[in-house]
Amino acid sequence: MTTRRDFLKQFGAASLVSLGAKPASFLARAAAATVAKPDERILVLVQLAGGNDGLNTVVPFGRAEYYKARPGVGIGKDTVLKLNDELGLHPAMAGFKQLFDEGWLSVIQGVGYPNPDRSHFRAMDIWQSAKPEKDDVSSGWLGRALDSTVEQHVGKVPGLAFGTDKLPLSLVASKINVPTVRDVKGYQLQLGPGSESALKAHKQALERIAGRDASAGSDLDFLRRTARTAWSSAEKLKQISASYKPATEYPGNALGQKLRTVAEIISGDMGTRMFFVNLDGFDTHSQQSNAHQALLTELSSAITAFVGDLKGHGLADRVLVATFSEFGRRVAENGSLGTDHGAASQMFVVSPKCKGGVIGAHPSLTDLDDGDLKFHTDFRSVYATLLDRWLSIQSEPVLGGAFRPVEFV
Amino acid sequence: MANDMQRTDVEWSRREATHFLWRTGFGASADEIQQVTTDGLDKAIDRLLSPQTESAAFGKADAVLRQAAFDSGNIADLKAWWLHRMTASANPLVEKLTLLWHNHFATSNAKVDSVPLMAAQNDLLRRESLGSFRRVLYDIAKDVAMLVWLDSNSNRKRHPNENFAREVMELFSLGVGNYSEHDIQEAARAFTGWHVRNGEFWFNAIQHDTGEKAVFSKRGHFDGGEVIELCLEHPACPRFLAFKLLRQFVEPSPSREHIDALAARIRQHNFEWRSILRELFSSRLFFSEQARQSIIKSPVELLLGAVRQLKAKPNLQSLARLSAELGQDLFEPPTVKGWDGGRLWISSTTLIQRANFATALLKSNQLGSVSFATLRVEDDVNYFVQLLLARDVGAEAVAELRQFMKNQTGDPETRLRSLTQFVMQMPEYQLT
Repeated sequence: MTTRRDFLKQFGAASLVSLGAKPASFLARAAAATVAKPDERILVLVQLAGGNDGLNTVVPFGRAEYYKARPGVGIGKDTVLKLNDELGLHPAMAGFKQLFDEGWLSVIQGVGYPNPDRSHFRAMDIWQSAKPEKDDVSSGWLGRALDSTVEQHVGKVPGLAFGTDKLPLSLVASKINVPTVRDVKGYQLQLGPGSESALKAHKQALERIAGRDASAGSDLDFLRRTARTAWSSAEKLKQISASYKPATEYPGNALGQKLRTVAEIISGDMGTRMFFVNLDGFDTHSQQSNAHQALLTELSSAITAFVGDLKGHGLADRVLVATFSEFGRRVAENGSLGTDHGAASQMFVVSPKCKGGVIGAHPSLTDLDDGDLKFHTDFRSVYATLLDRWLSIQSEPVLGGAFRPVEFV
Repeated sequence: MANDMQRTDVEWSRREATHFLWRTGFGASADEIQQVTTDGLDKAIDRLLSPQTESAAFGKADAVLRQAAFDSGNIADLKAWWLHRMTASANPLVEKLTLLWHNHFATSNAKVDSVPLMAAQNDLLRRESLGSFRRVLYDIAKDVAMLVWLDSNSNRKRHPNENFAREVMELFSLGVGNYSEHDIQEAARAFTGWHVRNGEFWFNAIQHDTGEKAVFSKRGHFDGGEVIELCLEHPACPRFLAFKLLRQFVEPSPSREHIDALAARIRQHNFEWRSILRELFSSRLFFSEQARQSIIKSPVELLLGAVRQLKAKPNLQSLARLSAELGQDLFEPPTVKGWDGGRLWISSTTLIQRANFATALLKSNQLGSVSFATLRVEDDVNYFVQLLLARDVGAEAVAELRQFMKNQTGDPETRLRSLTQFVMQMPEYQLT
């Protein structure tokens, strides 16, 4: 049995969750509380950066207007992987088609928000902050979800951005510093040649220096907290078995390799409940066909391998993968066999625990908003469902209001 | 407040000199700090803003490195060329501004795929770094690397491509919220036919839409140049530039008052940088307490800062790679928005790598060499805290450092290396 003293020894000095006020009393309370439930559910959020062309991802092949608007880049009716009589997946998404047939894939149609912004950066901030009305990028929706459940995360790495260069806004919290791990290999503090005891003394001195308080919210405070998070999470990652054996073969693409490591970390159980991974390159303004096909191949093959791997390790039931992109693209193709920035699009949800199928009607291809699809499902409804029904985190305070759930889980 | 732009009456000292050198260049050695402390503000600004003759050694190395990049066609060599300029040029502000504008007009070789074109754009940004923003905005619209980067050849009369028109407003001159989607669609028409042919700008008259356009509620048969002029006249333009300048040189989150105060000077000086920067660098605002130690170093500032502080002989190629790993890949910014900077430079991964950089620089020779052989100082801890951190770190940290130094074994140089490494791994080292 873990005693309170062991707990404090283990997590007190180098807690991954840095606490705000009164850490001592907080730790005492947390130490008395029960340890993590093994059945905690995990969300893996995959960002399709650049604005994915949703109409060429889930193709409305049953509608003549689609082919009329896209004489050059439209996906042929005969090649799509049919989901029903009017919709089909891009032919590169065989893995997703298989998941769909097994009931592991939900396609949520027509997701967006009022007055859509067509700037990549602002739109991305909107999706990640979940505050379309305000220009407030001080926190992300998952970050606020972590903040609201901070007491559950003591001694863990509750969120992790994997394979990204910087912490995505989604995971920016005020009470918790979420580590960003580009790759596990480079994620070790190197102090140089020297005796083990000298290096240990060096590290401990650094921890004491970084452990001092700075005025809350200042850059120095931020740097010290990040340093503490970094050094201790590096220690934890080191301990995760390097001999992880995936149950499926991952594709060689970058997303596949990132998700392989995510599976590894899930199996190592660091208490991580939210992972963020990025797939970039969806800003397909010209000659989009080959590039888009490669991206969708990567997306579909990597996620299919990932859930297969989790299944093999008996972990699939704990994990849900959701995708999002900052916007879809205009219905009509442009003059350079590409598509320009649009608005509403679909989201994918993958999990054995999701309801599967196509959810919601396909937006009209004729009743448009300035050339773009109109949304019927607010993205915050999807977020609310993920928070309330999947992560068991109350969505209302996180999203600043109540949003009607979407029936995908 | 208007008087933030008034001349500072700060008492000149080593602390002011260090602040000045760090903000206007890429860090400074003890000698350089001493020089500027002695010179005072006026002399330092004069030297900063008037062209300084480069040494013969610099000119030779510069030419060799540039030629190597053109010969190999490898962008990695051009990165090394630019890092050398930033490290060794007698005109550090010019290089710092070139980097600022590279980030502003962020263009990536990932798409342009040409050393000569990326170098030509870099030359353009450098040429106007202390010149005029008006000229740079006109010239960048015809810069070949930029035209390739933003798909200008597909911007045709019957099928306008909005990419360049959008970025001119969103990222180059006005910022989000100061134009409508309609303005962009109309502006895109004005830039139709601004194409590239045989590696040069080419006005393709057949593809240019000469029709009437409405931009910012003004109507006319605008061409691209007139749209640029409309952007420059827009009240948001000097404010947008003031924001960028303040974030680079003064504070990470500029207040509305500060932006307005500097924007007024930018308009007054008609976008002429030399006059604007002379005022900014001698202003109360620039030397205000809230500006001190308030900026998180970019990877380039971190790496070159250390190299310059310690007078290291760097391996430029390795530094360029490390800078890329830390998030700042010169000539290859991640998106057209460039690097966001500030706290976004820092993640747990990059903070570990920043700490590992100190180890690599001081405890191996992967990144170059540092010599402590001739260094004789009375108080090691105080000397390195002043040189490397330029701030008061508190009695507790000083005691920790003295203890650390006491615990070190080996010859004096080894111990100094360990101390330097340690100070560079303190979170404070990330700030300037």
